[in-house]
Amino acid sequence: MTTLYLERASAVHRLNPVTKLVALLAIIAIVFAVPQWWIPLGIVVLVVVPAAVLARVGGRLLRLFLILLLPLLVVLFIVQGFFFPDGTTVLWQWGPARLTVEGLVFSLTIGSRLSALVLGSLVFVLTTHPARLMTALTQAGMSSKIAYVISASLQIIPAFQERARSILLAQQARGLEIAGGPLRRARALLPLIAPLVLGMITDVDERSTAMEARAFGATPRPTSLTVVDDPLSERIGRWLLAAAAAAVIVLVVVGVIA
Amino acid sequence: MSGSTPAVDANRTRNRIFVALGTLVIVATYLYLILAQPEELAEGGLGTSALIALAGYLIGAGLIAAGAIHRLPTATLSLIPIAIVLNIAVGQLTAVLGLPLYLDSIGTVLVGVLAGPAAGAVTGALTNVIWGLTIGPIALPFAVTAVVIGVLAGYAARWGMFRRFYLAPVAGFVTGIVAALVSAPIAAFIFGGATGAGTGAIVAAFQAWGNSLLASTTLQGLLSDPLDKTITFTIVVIILFALPSRLRGRFPFVRQYNVFGKVAPVAPAEPAAPAAPAAPAEPEAPKA
Amino acid sequence: MIELRDVAFAYEDAPAFTLAHLDLDVAAGTIMGIVGASGSGKTTLAKIIAGFIPSTEGGTYRGTASVAGAVLSEGTLTEAVDVVGLVTQNPFNQISGARFTVREELAFGLENRSVERSQMIERVDAVADTLGLTALLDRSPYALSGGQMQLVAIASMVVMAPPVLVLDEPTSQLDPAGTRLVYDVLARLSEGGTTVVIIEHKTELLHEHCDAISVLASGRIVSTGTPATVFADDRLSTWGVGQTRITQAAREARARGLLPVTALLPVGVSDGAAVFAENGAAR
Repeated sequence: MTTLYLERASAVHRLNPVTKLVALLAIIAIVFAVPQWWIPLGIVVLVVVPAAVLARVGGRLLRLFLILLLPLLVVLFIVQGFFFPDGTTVLWQWGPARLTVEGLVFSLTIGSRLSALVLGSLVFVLTTHPARLMTALTQAGMSSKIAYVISASLQIIPAFQERARSILLAQQARGLEIAGGPLRRARALLPLIAPLVLGMITDVDERSTAMEARAFGATPRPTSLTVVDDPLSERIGRWLLAAAAAAVIVLVVVGVIA
Repeated sequence: MSGSTPAVDANRTRNRIFVALGTLVIVATYLYLILAQPEELAEGGLGTSALIALAGYLIGAGLIAAGAIHRLPTATLSLIPIAIVLNIAVGQLTAVLGLPLYLDSIGTVLVGVLAGPAAGAVTGALTNVIWGLTIGPIALPFAVTAVVIGVLAGYAARWGMFRRFYLAPVAGFVTGIVAALVSAPIAAFIFGGATGAGTGAIVAAFQAWGNSLLASTTLQGLLSDPLDKTITFTIVVIILFALPSRLRGRFPFVRQYNVFGKVAPVAPAEPAAPAAPAAPAEPEAPKA
Repeated sequence: MIELRDVAFAYEDAPAFTLAHLDLDVAAGTIMGIVGASGSGKTTLAKIIAGFIPSTEGGTYRGTASVAGAVLSEGTLTEAVDVVGLVTQNPFNQISGARFTVREELAFGLENRSVERSQMIERVDAVADTLGLTALLDRSPYALSGGQMQLVAIASMVVMAPPVLVLDEPTSQLDPAGTRLVYDVLARLSEGGTTVVIIEHKTELLHEHCDAISVLASGRIVSTGTPATVFADDRLSTWGVGQTRITQAAREARARGLLPVTALLPVGVSDGAAVFAENGAAR
């Protein structure tokens, strides 16, 4: 398995995945609704980071922040800080680059929202085992077909990467050139992809036979061996979170928060 | 199991509504963002554009994927995980090789061509979910683009764009244009044009030349997406043409819409009339 | 238990029938081995017995295939799946991927048949115990060896308790140890009353484990009988089936005049030893 999930014993891990998903969606809805840049930042500092620390995934979150998010934030501040189309209050200018107040505020707004979106999602993924997520979502009414596709994809990724690597090695041993110009390298991809596709098409018959032999799709309401706890407190919590998000959006739309 | 058949029928109607509603939401989102955005930006802020872009596109993509997946038979369904992994494996390989392309939708296009637009849509949407769970959730807002690519690949195949070798790249080019248009509001309002170092530099250049944010991300997309999808469709058509037609012909969608342009399939022979010309030759019974 | 009468099938757009005028009978509780050259239609036959043809495959189908008294082509695939379990060649492709542990993988078919949870737990534990998988129940099915994966594939059929199990070259991708495991399990299932049909090209194994053998050649059954008679048949090679090494040795000995022309060719180790001992003693 190749997901970002980290096994820990924590209250965040124990929550029903649906509750965590609703919390994540509520956070995303709120940070993208409110215009103030400091609100998303406040949510990151007061909710997302403490949740990560509580779940004992803070170190990994920091590393992923540095790898995934920080480069984007740097690019964002350069592009919109210096080249914002609607910037009027110029602080500094050099050639076509104009550092403007409007550009900085815009970068802050986008940057803090993006941080809340990405870090919140990361905490969700870091603390939620995909198997438990799929079971909980299926219990909540999601189609077992979607659960099947997601689970199967996650589990065959390692085998496929292995196959891709061995094909790459075999091709290199036969003198395949993977250096040179972009077009040449793109052409080099072809002998790599073709065997993977051939395997995919020849395997599909056996794979679907195996699924059908086990009556997959025979009933719209299958039972489940594993059950994810869904206490009343969490169900109430989910409704409260959804209501809070809806309230914020309404307040923004009618202009109370502006 | 009483009443299971009516339940299936009710689902079918519900699924059609999901797909139609999802399409409507995506189109409405795009039109709203294109038409309403300039006024709001002029007022000095983002307004509700970001929320509408994110919510509209995610809800639309989700509705289409949820509605589409129910139509798919198990044989198609078991093709999709492998296609998703193909997207990811080749996408990563492309990055490792340092190519200035994405090439992360080969599996999606392949499924669209072999199994139709609904299968393509599901492959695209769920690929982004898998990216989110494995590499990081940055790509998730672009799920709608992946859905559009899968759907267009399916319709391109249905309309005969894979019957001639040279037509597929054209279909890829057009798909790339649509993909660029659809994803531009996400790149603009959610990422502020900063989806990567290279793309950010291009957006900055377009903005420096006096284009608005949305116009700049659109132009940036038009620089990369049509090329990327042209190459993707070309790779797919090369691979599929190289396959034995027996393998391609296994897919009912391919046979139904004559995707690879063979002559219309022979009608199945009547079991009662083995002497009919279309019937395959059956060996004589053992003389005993 | 299994009755095929004048069955014929041609795949869509295929120029010829893959199977034609095929008759097959398998008695309840026995192990039937089916041999045949590649391309003789073995996989097609397996799919017909399991009810997958004609229901999931377009083409021309004729004749009747009935299992446990029910004509498969008249019912749904789900009804067929309830009577016949199907195991195929590649263990990796048979892991559903829908579940993350062996325990859940085994329960997957029961879930799809809406079996109650308490009953599910009981049946999974019982089958894991019978097939020796208990220690693996909490592992990921993808972390297993090929032989173990194939056992999981068999177990996930057995747990659904079909009276008939069809296996299409289940050991072709396994090493000798994995192959041994599979055959041990089949013997135990047969003792428990399951009817087993196994398609296999390793004649030694079939001779050792099967109650009856049928030879499939150019789309029909050309010979049926006990392993000893079928595998001793001189026509075996003309049907594209390899003889056991004992038989080959005996034929060679007969050709060199070491055995009388009338001698019945031995198939296994013990009857081989007997034949050679008898004729050696006569000398």
